[in-house]
Amino acid sequence: MKRKSIILALLLFLVVAMVGCNNDDEKVTIEFWHNYSASDGQVTVLETLIDEFEEVNPNIEVKHVFMEWGALKSSVVLGADTGVLPDVLRGDIAFVPQFQSLNVLLAMSDFEDYVTQANKVLDSANSSNLMGNKYYGLAANTNTKILFYNEDLLEAASVDVPDTLDELWTAVSSLKSESVIGMVEPWTGIWNVGPYIWSEGGEVLSPDNSTAEGYINSQTVVDVIQSLADLYQAEELAGPSMDPGATGDTDGWASSLYAFELDGPWRATSNEAAGINYGAIPLPEGSEGSISVLGGENFMQFKNSSVEKQEAAWKFVKFMTEEHAQVEMAKVGQMPVNLAALENAEAIEAMPLLPVFQEALLTAKARPVIPEWSQVEDIIATKVAEAITGTKTVQAALDEAAEAIDDLLG
Amino acid sequence: MDQVIKLKKKRKLNRADWRTWVIFLPGILFVLLFTIYPILKMFVMSFFDWNIGFQATSPFMGLQNYVDVLTDPIAIRAIINTFVYAIVTVPLQMIIGLAVALLINGIKRLNLFFRLGYYLPVITSWVVVALLFRYIFANSGLMNYFLVDVLGVVEEPVNWLGSRWSALASAMLLGVWKGIGWNMIIFLAALQAVPKNLYEAADIDGASRRQKFFYITLPSIKGTVTFALVMLSIGAFNTYTPIAILTGGNPMHQTEVVLTWMYFQTFEALNMGYSAALSMIVTGLIMLVTVFLFGVTRGKKVA
Repeated sequence: MKRKSIILALLLFLVVAMVGCNNDDEKVTIEFWHNYSASDGQVTVLETLIDEFEEVNPNIEVKHVFMEWGALKSSVVLGADTGVLPDVLRGDIAFVPQFQSLNVLLAMSDFEDYVTQANKVLDSANSSNLMGNKYYGLAANTNTKILFYNEDLLEAASVDVPDTLDELWTAVSSLKSESVIGMVEPWTGIWNVGPYIWSEGGEVLSPDNSTAEGYINSQTVVDVIQSLADLYQAEELAGPSMDPGATGDTDGWASSLYAFELDGPWRATSNEAAGINYGAIPLPEGSEGSISVLGGENFMQFKNSSVEKQEAAWKFVKFMTEEHAQVEMAKVGQMPVNLAALENAEAIEAMPLLPVFQEALLTAKARPVIPEWSQVEDIIATKVAEAITGTKTVQAALDEAAEAIDDLLG
Repeated sequence: MDQVIKLKKKRKLNRADWRTWVIFLPGILFVLLFTIYPILKMFVMSFFDWNIGFQATSPFMGLQNYVDVLTDPIAIRAIINTFVYAIVTVPLQMIIGLAVALLINGIKRLNLFFRLGYYLPVITSWVVVALLFRYIFANSGLMNYFLVDVLGVVEEPVNWLGSRWSALASAMLLGVWKGIGWNMIIFLAALQAVPKNLYEAADIDGASRRQKFFYITLPSIKGTVTFALVMLSIGAFNTYTPIAILTGGNPMHQTEVVLTWMYFQTFEALNMGYSAALSMIVTGLIMLVTVFLFGVTRGKKVA
């Protein structure tokens, strides 16, 4: 008897539990991976936004998961094999071609109202989602690099803010002193040297991204890298990737060691935290104008989630790219892509440098959108470092780079 | 004859005792699933241009991945760097660890204090101490301050992390410093197991301290020495954190070790086949080294 009642109780419990589950089933739960920074308060804003989204869409639940930049990438690489993937992700624009090559991304331009939503965001930012004739993401945030300078150091050495790239190199040289290094360049990839190359009219790859020969090793590029090499060898330019013993850029800014750096919006945040008196302008013009590099993040969706979840995730992406969400994120340092948010007074007040970035964004250039890009950029970073440190002549190093890239793309 | 009978008995016992197998089974399954299967799978992967991804196809490449690895100057440099790291750090930390163990074994007071002191580096996080070492060996770091400003032995600050061998030397110093404590504990345990009456007999025979060390201590702890040698060698081939944090393989991939380069090829370049081939080559090298080490230490025992 006793046993029977226990079984009965168990059965009853199971039924109740299953009914409970059924109720939950009507609610679509989507998983959202991102690398919004917690220290800048972005995660808190995200949580508020998710609450608002869930209020408007009571049948959708968003579970967000924070990951570091590197973890975000390697988790998707692993997930491509194991199937453990999110429904929606917000990550570096450079992830799109690689993830697409893993064949895990959903062609978001297949959503009926994709074009409507895409028209609300910056074209240049959204271009990083285009592969073939489909879009595999929607721009989430954008950024580019502008020239930050330490006003106190410039004033002390009575150096003017430069108007051209040549003036910048001269300014960097004349700032060198016992306790000051004119400029810092944390890496030697295209993210770093691209803007100087493009602004002088050089290119990395051919327009169809098929070859580097005659582009990365052209006279223009050689001249640009030569100017950097001259500065580096005179110890007027520091490069923590070429010399891991050099002071990192954030530490160097905080201790007023570095006077110039071409960097993104985060430099403003860290300089303010360190109490540094700084200014910023778009990259000074080279012979072909001022062309910086396009950065930022995109929303991506995954093709292995169910249709229901894809629809729910798309709703969430649309919500996150509307003016309201974008302005809220701007207040914690994420540069909007939404056109209305870019003009929004609250956003501009929160990001005083927004107009400077917007000006730089007008001409900023995206890095080539090809799956092999990580490897191409690694080759360039290695060879440019060899050229700048003087291990090889600039021409020899860049010729080797062209050959290695062509081997890879061939 | 005796031995044969013994063996037969033992086997019979094993077959009868099914409980032994039940107890072993989870362990065996675990090893099969998480060690044997991945090794086999990786072996297979190393012959393909392995593409992960939804419905991805992976063309057969034959030995091309192995050719790619062996003709890649960075891979060769990484393998050489790893060997140098192993050859320097393994004997050094064993010798220092053994010396410390002998000293601690000889003292009665403050025994616990020294044991704790030497063991502390072992329990601290690799990442934390590697970051500390990066600051110590930075151009304007503590080491240069000490050498230039305090001791005055060098005029200009040394660019420790900026070139291949000095950066590796910094990483090796970190490896040795962090490894001493583990060796000390292992050797201390071995030393305490050496029968005291051997030393007493040696004393009666009038043996010197040197003689006691070479004819009693060392032969008695030989098993531990072999164990430490093999474990540390395998560990040295798997070094990752000190390099990743001190230099990240920079400058220009000069300080790359096998694992940092493998990480780049796997997660940055997505060259799964290449990484699998590199893993197989390193696995082969580790096996060769292990067999060699066992051979050397066993050879000594016979002699």
